Amino acid sequence: MVRAVPPALRIAAWVFVAATALFLLAPLVVVAGVSVSESQFIAFPPDGLTLRWYEEVLASDAYLAAAALSLQVAVLVTLAATIVGGAAAIALHRRRLPGSDALATAFLSPLVLPTIIYAIGMLMLWSALFGPVSLLTLALSHTVIALPYVVRTTLAVLAESDPFLEEAARTMGAGRLQRLFHVVVPQCLPGLAAGAFFAFNISFDEAVLSLFLRKPGLTTLPVQIYGQLEFSPDPSVAAVSTIMIGVTVLLIVVIDRLLGLQRFASP
Amino acid sequence: MAQVTLRDIRKSFGNVEVLHGISLDIASGEFVSLLGASGCGKTTLLRIVAGLESVSAGSVAIDGREVTPLPPERRDIAMMFQSYALLPHLSVFENVRFPLRMRRLGSREAQRDKVAAALETVQLSHLADRRPRQLSGGQQQRVALARAIVSDPKVLLLDEPLSNLDARLREEMQVELIELHRRLGLTTLFVTHDQEEALSLSDRIILINAGRIEQQGRPEEIYARPATAFASSFLGSANLVPATVEQGDHGPVALLADGQRLPLAPEATARGPATLVLRQEDLMLQIAGSEGLRATIATRVYLGGRIRYVLDLAGSRVSVLAPNDLVFRRGDDVCLAIRPQAVGVLPT
Repeated sequence: MVRAVPPALRIAAWVFVAATALFLLAPLVVVAGVSVSESQFIAFPPDGLTLRWYEEVLASDAYLAAAALSLQVAVLVTLAATIVGGAAAIALHRRRLPGSDALATAFLSPLVLPTIIYAIGMLMLWSALFGPVSLLTLALSHTVIALPYVVRTTLAVLAESDPFLEEAARTMGAGRLQRLFHVVVPQCLPGLAAGAFFAFNISFDEAVLSLFLRKPGLTTLPVQIYGQLEFSPDPSVAAVSTIMIGVTVLLIVVIDRLLGLQRFASP
Repeated sequence: MAQVTLRDIRKSFGNVEVLHGISLDIASGEFVSLLGASGCGKTTLLRIVAGLESVSAGSVAIDGREVTPLPPERRDIAMMFQSYALLPHLSVFENVRFPLRMRRLGSREAQRDKVAAALETVQLSHLADRRPRQLSGGQQQRVALARAIVSDPKVLLLDEPLSNLDARLREEMQVELIELHRRLGLTTLFVTHDQEEALSLSDRIILINAGRIEQQGRPEEIYARPATAFASSFLGSANLVPATVEQGDHGPVALLADGQRLPLAPEATARGPATLVLRQEDLMLQIAGSEGLRATIATRVYLGGRIRYVLDLAGSRVSVLAPNDLVFRRGDDVCLAIRPQAVGVLPT
């Protein structure tokens, strides 16, 4: 029998859950509400019901170009972060590298490093070494902040795996490369896929780095949204945001169906 | 099929030497068990034969060919792991095909036929499309066995393969292993800490203690004539009782700590301090006043069909099996009888 929870604690728990739901979900509801408002201005609650802001967004060259750039960068980041992060996780898991622990900390450090500091540094470094920023600059810097997610999800799956699989493969005649492609990578696959999903989302949502590393013609979707909000706020911003939320939710559902995300939720 | 030759194998981890020079010849088709307590070095020795562990000194040869420097993937061996080590992302069929695929043995069709035959051998043909996690422990174990025999390895290495099974399945698998070995005649090296398993499966038992071979021989030999106190305590439930062997009026006699005398067989030639080996199945428990050694009941363990009594005999603990209608209580005086020929004598 589970001991009964005291009523005071139970009420506290409910308040906590309600507050979480309120501050996590309510902003999304507000954005979605604003996006269908007939008003010229950003106002909540919405007055009227219209899809014209969506039409406007889909007809806007600025938004479409920004979305295209964001997508290109996100795809590059997903590929780079998955390959580099996956390889790093496999190496860290084996603990045969000297200084594995220090390396592991280094790979996870972008999680705690203030992005704005990193963005300033990256801008200065790139300008000094290579001159004007480019799509590559964005992809590279996004990859750095996406890496920890791939490393962590891949390490999580490896920690659960049978440590004798590779040895068993050796006794079955599998050489180094055969073991990598037939044993190690398939084992990592769920972690790599989840990491890739995080990497894509992080790059696609990223605003701070993209804001610092922008130039005319190099504007990602979040930066475009931010600019629009600053200079000519109208509900089209909310419409774009709602589309982004929709895409993200869809991705989460797909990935969760395929892999189950809970296993990566705990550290 | 092949013979395996180990010459003066030494292995150290850091400063600790765990194998102190083991030499061993395994004949072609022989089933040899490495028996010992955990940490005695038996698994390390098996991993050295597999190539998963390097040697600090010594050499390993398979069929006369020196393989010491070769990695496991270039030795013609198969190994079954305690955890079975099935690849979770592959079906049963693909798991069994894995060694053939990695070694590029035969065409796709030939591989399919071999896998089918191996699965037939372990009676799992109907589960070929399942994933390992959909199988029971016993079934996973059979898949691992099929995978180990599918490539006709020169040597089959088994690392405590039965220890994760429940008692009934374990007995079933023992019978299957015996039959499989008889049919395929594979040279087999089997690591276990379970003396019954070693006794029932092996052509020869190598008893290992603290990195050295303590004794080796056929199961009957090693069970009937343990050469050392360690061997007798590890094999079977032998009771060890210290004594002094003297020349009596009618042959040798063992003098126990409390002065009781136990006649020995004439073959016992050694004199002086010794350890007596009394197997519990050779001891007969009788009511006090009968012929034999006087002892006191210390503990009674009810086993259903039988009762195990632990006795105090001249200050030593002695365990005896008795029929369950022979009821004594704690503290009862009893008598213990044993044939002189059944008493083992290990000079100390």
